[in-house]
Amino acid sequence: MTVVPVSTELLDDAAGADPAAPPRPPQRSRRRRRRDLAPLWLLSPAGLVLAVVTLAPIGFLLFTAFTDYNQRTLFTGRYSYVGFDQFSELLSDGAFWMSLLRTVLFTAAMVTGSVLIGMGVSHLLTRLGLWWRYTVTVVLIVAWAMPNVASSLVWNWLFQPGYGVVNWGLDRVGVFGDTTDLNWAQDPARAYVAIWLLIVWQAVPFIALTLNAAETQVPAEYKEAARLDGATELAVYRIVTLNHLRPILLLVTILSVIWDYNVFNQIWLISRGGPGDSTSTLGVFTYKTAFVGFHIGQGAAISVVTTLLLFGLTAFYIRRLLRSGEDL
Amino acid sequence: MRHRSRWAVNTIAAVFCLVWIFPVYWMVNTAFKPRPEVMTATPHFVPYHPTLSNFVNAVTQENFLVNLRNSVVVVALTVLASIVLGIFAAAALSRFRFPGRRTIMVVILAVQMLPGTALLIPMFVMFNSLDLLGTYAALVLAYVATVLPFSIWVMRGFFVAIPAEIEEAAQLDGATTWGVLTRVLFPLVAPGVISTGIFAFIAAWNDYLFAYTFMQDQSRYTLPVWLASFTNPHTGTDFGGQMAASVLFSIPVVVFFLIIQRNLVAGMSAGAVKG
Repeated sequence: MTVVPVSTELLDDAAGADPAAPPRPPQRSRRRRRRDLAPLWLLSPAGLVLAVVTLAPIGFLLFTAFTDYNQRTLFTGRYSYVGFDQFSELLSDGAFWMSLLRTVLFTAAMVTGSVLIGMGVSHLLTRLGLWWRYTVTVVLIVAWAMPNVASSLVWNWLFQPGYGVVNWGLDRVGVFGDTTDLNWAQDPARAYVAIWLLIVWQAVPFIALTLNAAETQVPAEYKEAARLDGATELAVYRIVTLNHLRPILLLVTILSVIWDYNVFNQIWLISRGGPGDSTSTLGVFTYKTAFVGFHIGQGAAISVVTTLLLFGLTAFYIRRLLRSGEDL
Repeated sequence: MRHRSRWAVNTIAAVFCLVWIFPVYWMVNTAFKPRPEVMTATPHFVPYHPTLSNFVNAVTQENFLVNLRNSVVVVALTVLASIVLGIFAAAALSRFRFPGRRTIMVVILAVQMLPGTALLIPMFVMFNSLDLLGTYAALVLAYVATVLPFSIWVMRGFFVAIPAEIEEAAQLDGATTWGVLTRVLFPLVAPGVISTGIFAFIAAWNDYLFAYTFMQDQSRYTLPVWLASFTNPHTGTDFGGQMAASVLFSIPVVVFFLIIQRNLVAGMSAGAVKG
């Protein structure tokens, strides 16, 4: 599971300055200067721990990517420095490029699906009465809360050949012929469909609820004004609402890209990257290289490249998050 | 016109709810079915003969109790560490100005955006040479790495919301820095501590990747790996047992989500969790 901050300030920011927001803390007083050492001892415990558990591993990841660390090394501790060999090997490996292509296309499909449905549900929530709004919200939270290991296993059962309820349902619809024994994990296209449905199912609640929080802050006068000017409901949504939602929509989309690009559990538990390598996106490809083939040096190199490819988006997201924060 | 459109919107809402809740419903439904009813040519949409036998089977499995204990120990240590370490760091990053503050925050945020394998691979190598693979320490360190940055960020949001006047009043009354922190600020961020604790719980409780890779032995796995181990391509998966186990495993998380629901929806928790 990924836990990522989306700060309240973003929502306020998205909807313009909120008049009801508490006043920002005034500029720090001179008094502050005399306590210069306090932040040091407050930060040092967490700082030390974070240095050990995050910075050291990241440094070690970079180091490992320049070695031939493999299964033998795990027992003997011996490895040698190979320079950029892992990287050049990777870049000439067709399997890597295929995996990258898959990841990009599948991420695009997942993000498009979840953001569009999320926008729809967010808007739906604004049109509902109290009771239905509450019901939809609870349904969203329950789907969101499901641990992804559990939901992946539920998915396997829903799509199980022979007795799965999805195959039974498709069979009853009839247009696909006898679908009772349809095997979803053993066919690339079907495996993608099943995984896509799972990811979208689980991503929509976060997107819908986040967008809805911003959508409820769109000033009603703007919408009224547009309606008085004769705009249809669709035009009101497109011109007024969407315009207000744009900043938060952008952030939610970036966050979805980062998450979906890194998806591992759901694919691993549903198709193991198969059949063959056909659903092996970068997460699965890295894992298989490092922990099935135990080419750990190579796995580290893939991980470095994967991270670098996403660096631009991550940097943009962090900058935005910091800027929308307080007086930095 | 209002009446018709209300009806249409409610219908869409009802269909959406049915579709979105169905997987959860199907998990619960299957969990209460006796074995012959799980595998039927026409699925039963309610259990005809409801039974608790799947739950009994699940919890009497050889490794359930020991895996549950592993989960509880690792999760408790992670929650404790991320709150204790996080609250001081959050105080430093919100109530003080000092050089390097911005850099620290960028690092904290950046670490969370890394792919799982970027920590998994080097940690595996490091723990292998330190002989830590298969120990609680390995998992707790991995979870602290993923949870602590987030905890700091969330609690920082709660600190920032406290007006500086409150702090200054305490200082004028002669409180020390430590006194201001423990007697004034910490009680005010208590809701933040609870949210942070719940987020840390969920992250550690749900993790599959690190536990699966580091623990390497059935008796050392945590519950998510135990849950996945019901899947058996050779002897056939016991879906009734697996769904019952999934229900048991999901209940604490769903309950916590519903508790912090108001925070989630209002965006007040300054945090978001993705499954």
